[in-house]
Amino acid sequence: MTNYAKLLHEKDKVATAVADLASGDGVTVKFAGEETEYKCNQDIPFGHKIAIVDIQKGEKVIKYGEAIGTALQDIKKGDWVHTHNLKDDYKVLDKEGNALPGQED
Amino acid sequence: MDFYGYPRPDGKVGARNYVALIPATGCVNAVAFHLEKMIRGTKAISHDQGCLHPPADTEQVTRTLINLGKNPNIAAALVIGLGCEMVQAEKVYEGIKESGKPVDLVAVHELGGMFETISKGAQIVTEMVVTTSGIKREKAGLDKLVFGTKCGSSDTTSGLSSNLVVGEVCRLMTENGGIFIQGEICDIMGGEYALKKLSVDQQQGEKIVDLVRDLYLRGVAVGADVRGSQMTAGNVAGGLTTLVEKALGANAKGGNVPIQGTLDYAELPKGPGRYIMNFPGHGFENLTGSAAGGAIVHLFTTGRGAPNGNPILPTVKICGNSRTNISMKEHIDVDVSSVIDETETIEEAGQRLYEYAIEVANGKLTRAEILNFDSRMEILIKGPVM
Repeated sequence: MTNYAKLLHEKDKVATAVADLASGDGVTVKFAGEETEYKCNQDIPFGHKIAIVDIQKGEKVIKYGEAIGTALQDIKKGDWVHTHNLKDDYKVLDKEGNALPGQED
Repeated sequence: MDFYGYPRPDGKVGARNYVALIPATGCVNAVAFHLEKMIRGTKAISHDQGCLHPPADTEQVTRTLINLGKNPNIAAALVIGLGCEMVQAEKVYEGIKESGKPVDLVAVHELGGMFETISKGAQIVTEMVVTTSGIKREKAGLDKLVFGTKCGSSDTTSGLSSNLVVGEVCRLMTENGGIFIQGEICDIMGGEYALKKLSVDQQQGEKIVDLVRDLYLRGVAVGADVRGSQMTAGNVAGGLTTLVEKALGANAKGGNVPIQGTLDYAELPKGPGRYIMNFPGHGFENLTGSAAGGAIVHLFTTGRGAPNGNPILPTVKICGNSRTNISMKEHIDVDVSSVIDETETIEEAGQRLYEYAIEVANGKLTRAEILNFDSRMEILIKGPVM
């Protein structure tokens, strides 16, 4: 049985596993009629993300075509991407772009 | 596929044909419940509001009740007042009357208690059912369709399948001139700038950001950072890493369809296309807001299985979790786990769901309706309750 990861937008740097994947497993991404094969560098559970390109530390991670956070370290193609290497930098901003009060990092 | 619905005097078209029993205050819900049991074809629109509100909530509850009465799924309405409530039954009655539908009014203090009110109400409502039950479904344009949406009891599959499939329905139905109402400001939090980019008017787009700011600051006022309550431990265990990621998965229910503007809670859209309504994620108030906005069918995505519907708004449950589709079978209308399995594309599943939603608009019952899992609703208030 083929293991799939879902890619949601052409700009995305991560895909989402829709099977429990083990380190070393191959995983297929179907997008726009094409299939691409990746190899998992770690275990990646169902619903978790796999990098489909190398991502530099400090670079924005893209999913749904939008930045979802910032890479905390260099991420290699095939790496599991989650809270250990992806930072949530969202804050509610005022009209001038300053964070509204009460938001800790 | 064609839409066959109940034509209304104001040109709108309904998916259902109920006589609504509308209490102006929760104090007289009992009258509505008794009448609903007595008289076939009626629906009690019960709620717990109507009194001891600040003026803004009195206005919001009044607007909600009027626009529920105007909902095309309603053929006629009886407004039930007590006589001392802040939300004036007379005003609700006058508001619904603008739609040209049969509407009447009874008040418990004036008639002298429940028995007299039920007696008079039953006679009025019986004649309304005799008249309106004869209305025939007619072929209507797909531009008459108004769908609302929400996600609830979500899981990882929601942002990977069901929400995207609803997003495709949004594209298809708005291309045909329909109206699509999305909201859940708590779920938009993190994705507000993505929605602003989709807004046809950037000032309207900024209003989406304002709705998020307002919700955030109301959280701060009660000592909460509501960003934190939006990302749960279960979300993180399920693979979601950031709030923006979660929000984008929720936003996907509207796809990349341009946004025409924002709506206040229970406000009627002024034209076709996709709108963002200021309704919460909480199902009871959410479905009411959608119905008051004129939705005739609601597309409700779920991962773990949310069973609730609404008294007047047929609610289609859409689920991409293959386990839930078995374990919660009696509650799920449309299985889209095929999108997860890669056996169906989002476009194909979207077309299938669009056709299913039209079938529901044409009279097919949703599971929440069949199971009578749709009798409760609530109206959003800001408070404080006095």
